[in-house]
Amino acid sequence: MPLVLVTILLPVIAGVLLYALPRSDRLISRTIGTAVAIVTFVTLLVAGNGEWSFRWLARPFTAAFHFGATPTSFWIALLLAVSTASAIAATRVPRTRDFVALLLMLEGTMLGLFLARDLLVFALFWDLMLIPVFFGLIGWGEHPVTAWRYFIYNFAGGLTLLLATAAFGVIYGSTDVIGRTGAHFAGGWAGWIYAGFAFAFLVKTPIWPLHTWMPPTYSGLASPMVAVVSAVQSKAGLYGFLAIGLALMPEYVHAYALPLMVLGAISLIYGAVVALVQTDAKRVVAYSSLSHLGLIVLAVASGNPLALKGALVYIVAHGLFSAALFLLLGFVEEREDTRSLLRLGGLGWKNPRLAGALCIAALAALGLPGLAGFAGELVILIGVYQAGYVWAVIVALVSILLASAYMLRLYQDVMNGPPVADLPVRPDLTWREGLAVAPLLAALLIVGVYPAPLLHP
Amino acid sequence: MTPPFTHADWSAIAPVTVVAVAALAVLIVDLFTVQRQQRYVSIGIALVGVFAAAVVAARQFGHNHDAFFGGFITGGFATVFQEIILIAAAGSLILFAAIGPAQRVAGTTAIMLWSASGAMLMAGAANLLMIFLGLELLSLGLYALCATSDRKTSRESALKYLILSSTATAFLLFGSALLFGATGSVRLADFTNPMLSSNPLFWTGAGMFLIGLVFKLSLVPFHTWTPDVFEGAPLPVTAFMSVATKAGALAVFARFIYASLPSGVGEALMLPVWIVAGISMIAGNVGMLAQHDLKRLLGYSGIAQIGYILVALAGTTPLGLRYAIYYLAAYAFMNLGAFAVAASISGDGEEGSALSTYRGLGLRRPWLAAAMAVFLLALAGLPPTAGFLGKILILATSVGSGYLWLAALLIVGTAISLYAYAKVIRLMYERPEGEAPRDLRPFVPLAWISAGVCGVAVVVMAFYPITPSNVLPLVR
Repeated sequence: MPLVLVTILLPVIAGVLLYALPRSDRLISRTIGTAVAIVTFVTLLVAGNGEWSFRWLARPFTAAFHFGATPTSFWIALLLAVSTASAIAATRVPRTRDFVALLLMLEGTMLGLFLARDLLVFALFWDLMLIPVFFGLIGWGEHPVTAWRYFIYNFAGGLTLLLATAAFGVIYGSTDVIGRTGAHFAGGWAGWIYAGFAFAFLVKTPIWPLHTWMPPTYSGLASPMVAVVSAVQSKAGLYGFLAIGLALMPEYVHAYALPLMVLGAISLIYGAVVALVQTDAKRVVAYSSLSHLGLIVLAVASGNPLALKGALVYIVAHGLFSAALFLLLGFVEEREDTRSLLRLGGLGWKNPRLAGALCIAALAALGLPGLAGFAGELVILIGVYQAGYVWAVIVALVSILLASAYMLRLYQDVMNGPPVADLPVRPDLTWREGLAVAPLLAALLIVGVYPAPLLHP
Repeated sequence: MTPPFTHADWSAIAPVTVVAVAALAVLIVDLFTVQRQQRYVSIGIALVGVFAAAVVAARQFGHNHDAFFGGFITGGFATVFQEIILIAAAGSLILFAAIGPAQRVAGTTAIMLWSASGAMLMAGAANLLMIFLGLELLSLGLYALCATSDRKTSRESALKYLILSSTATAFLLFGSALLFGATGSVRLADFTNPMLSSNPLFWTGAGMFLIGLVFKLSLVPFHTWTPDVFEGAPLPVTAFMSVATKAGALAVFARFIYASLPSGVGEALMLPVWIVAGISMIAGNVGMLAQHDLKRLLGYSGIAQIGYILVALAGTTPLGLRYAIYYLAAYAFMNLGAFAVAASISGDGEEGSALSTYRGLGLRRPWLAAAMAVFLLALAGLPPTAGFLGKILILATSVGSGYLWLAALLIVGTAISLYAYAKVIRLMYERPEGEAPRDLRPFVPLAWISAGVCGVAVVVMAFYPITPSNVLPLVR
């Protein structure tokens, strides 16, 4: 059996089989889940750029279950495997078995998305990856309405993607086109097809004004799952712009670059300003995500080769630090039963390891040189500048300045200051928790110091 | 004197005959069975009959033959529709065995088989008389079946169905008479004469004929009976009705619009139907939002789903017909599966189809809840199910034949529908709070197996999209 297929099926099948375990067994399901995620990571490395294809449709257009990593998707898939392993290891929720199973299925469906080489398969996994999160929101979310918003917004995006894919298939005869060299589509309905794709991508990223599903989802969902969602699922749209928009129909990305840039710039500033005034720690990170992903949209829209390389670095960097931030804030919430910045404070005195880890993640998020965030930001800014969008660079710089403000505020309000009397005192980061976030923090450092593999894939 | 009909004519309707004879056998054997075993004996015989008919029908797949002077045409088209109807009959019979009343089983079983044979007749019918015969056989059986439960709503449902359906039949019959008047023939094959396109009698007749069919398909604005009848009828009957009526009416509809209209008439005559299909996709899905009863919800869902199927037919392309059949088969499995789950949770006689019964099902009956989730997601068109692939195929067809506005309405309708389907899923998986729901039924093996088979079919069909090839020509 081809390894690339194993990579996708392994987490899904393991997730289903997990239901055979006794319901109460937290330790075993967590251990098995982490092990499966690590094995997936290894098979992904071994599979490399292997491909596998199986014919699905012959009419009305040809489509195939065609999987295989492209240079871009390979890194995102690795990021996914790492963040899933971390998230499962960090899981501490009621009904652990079911939750871990959902996380594994989420990993499998998203691997299917990123490794898909066929548009129809891409669309299939696009819808499929919503389902585990929807169940996560129902079972472990704070408010059921959040589940609706998430599902319906993203499903609406998925439907335009579906319509665009069907139209693409009918017009061009085949959807087996992702990563095909020399594939190029323009003229006729191609502009409308691109619009259908772009809408889905913008909802998923998300970008202002389509972002309203995102803050409640990110703050309401259980931390381990939101870590994976913000780290990787939010990259599905950006990956779509890279692998479908720019690779297959670049004319339209260039022709509509300006509106895209404007939306990206608004998200950058809007996300940053709103993050500045949030009192819910997870919402700060949620809005910071909106801002950071706006930067990647700028890079994509500029179409500059250097900016695109930077975009990949920043996709990985953002995945790493947002996963780390959400996991760490989850640890804080488990300890103190609150994530309100007004109530938290002074945790750093009793929890130095937790404070240190959060410090690294926050510094990466605000773009400290030496950590991954900086490498991505710098390359993107140079690229966007080269493309001639000076105003966009200025907007980005302002937002990076704001990022320092809200990230430091977040850290300060949680860790610094005098200890708050009515907060329970709990032990510092445990071994398990430390091991869970360590790979993410280590990767932040490695990518920050040596981003070359990502820049020259 | 030679008999007017040959051996080949009679063997063409063999599948229908087998089902009808099985019904007789059920009634006769029932007389010699002790009461304790009546239920299983009757349904056992019926299932054997259904299976035999399925085999006989499958053997006709490759043989295009017009029997009874073009009144009944065998071949891929008829076979596929007959198989779908037989699947619906088998599924409902199994539900009858699982949860039906212990009394009067033979009668209900026989009526359901006759009803199925009527729908099967419609699948191959190619003249107006045969269509009417099949339709009435189907409907008369259903009127009786609707009333078999002891609940008050059951009678109401039967009466409502009888009155409204008769109205539709009247339209169909009057339309048929006008068509005969305009053409001098009852054969659909004779309606393609280009001279007819300027004959107002033909237009009126075809219009009324279509209104009758649209009523049976329960499209807006002729849809109001569906939720009420679905709610009132016993659960297995609802399951049967939701698939078989649609399959029968759709077969006639497809044959009529694909093969029986003179050139130039089709587009103008059918435009109102496509508009109605478009409205149905929206109205059916919006109607679902306010429902608190699973049967009503699935009734509204069916209104929208038949709209999706008509979108595939809108271009009257050969591929469109195949995809419509594919989606109908997928719909049969999703729907029967959902009813099977409903039957495993709550039987006939209790007010069991209320959505509140499903609260917390995910924790108490994880397998049933998972199956239900698959069926609901399939109805909403999410992967990895046949509903997803069916939607893609339908969208591709409508884009290819230029009916973009129908594709757009389909998208909007689907987006609305997700809310209603996901509402049920949320109920099932939400953390239970407040008072515990009533006790569930104990393990109902037959219904569980039925749900399982449907679930597997719904998923497998997404990966092996077999669409029947031999569905044309429809008349000769």
